[in-house]
Amino acid sequence: MSVPYRQDLPPPGGFEAIKYKRNLPFKGPSGIVMLAGVTLFCGYGFYRVGQGNLEKRELKREKTWARIHLVPMLLAEGDRDAYRRQQAALEREKEIMKDVPGWEAGKSVYHDKKHVPRESIVVL
Amino acid sequence: MATWTKNDASVAPYVDPTPLPPSIPSVEEVGTTSAPLKSAAFFIGAYCKDFNEDFMLCKAENRNPEHCLKEGRKVTRCATDIITKLRENCLAEFDKHWQCLENNNQQYYMCRKPERALNKCVFEKLGLVKAIPGSPQGQPQIHEKTSPIFGAMQK
Repeated sequence: MSVPYRQDLPPPGGFEAIKYKRNLPFKGPSGIVMLAGVTLFCGYGFYRVGQGNLEKRELKREKTWARIHLVPMLLAEGDRDAYRRQQAALEREKEIMKDVPGWEAGKSVYHDKKHVPRESIVVL
Repeated sequence: MATWTKNDASVAPYVDPTPLPPSIPSVEEVGTTSAPLKSAAFFIGAYCKDFNEDFMLCKAENRNPEHCLKEGRKVTRCATDIITKLRENCLAEFDKHWQCLENNNQQYYMCRKPERALNKCVFEKLGLVKAIPGSPQGQPQIHEKTSPIFGAMQK
């Protein structure tokens, strides 16, 4: 069996180009971009923390001043009550000690003229 | 026989029914609970500034409760006065704000919306402004901030 002679030739249009170039597909942002992104992200976070700390300080100031504004009113009320109890205790002391000569009811145990609150109370 | 007991270990409450001596003019106590007081605190501070300062200066003079009874009565009358005025002029806003405080652990930052309504009403009707002494200059005060970082999680 004879085969007709046919010379082996390149395909019409020639061989395709040899793929010698490196094939490196895009695999996401580069290191520097990621670093910059993380830095920005964290920077914003720290900025918010800073702002939040300033805000916390102001909230604390607000709370403190609300209490400061209420102090005189509450203290006045407490003072009236304390005075009332003091006077009642004094009356009781006078009544109990009326037979003891030389007893001064309500006399401070200190020479100091400064006000010293009672250390103890009598619970009725 | 009488025995000694520690006062704070007593089962009986510390109650003394004896009234104030009649020489002391009587004054109705404010009788407001904590949340309405906190809601009204800055208005009490603004409205009763003179009386409050007078009273505190008097207390600085002498800590004896007897020493400042007169100034104390003025302070209490002033506080009662402003709370009555608040209730007369801005009852709805006031109620809303203190109920919000009551429900939110008495934190101002949780109740900015009702607070703004109350501040606006009080400024229009009574001319009182909430001002926090010592706040940074040239910035909105904490209660005037439009988008604060700390706020209610649920709007």
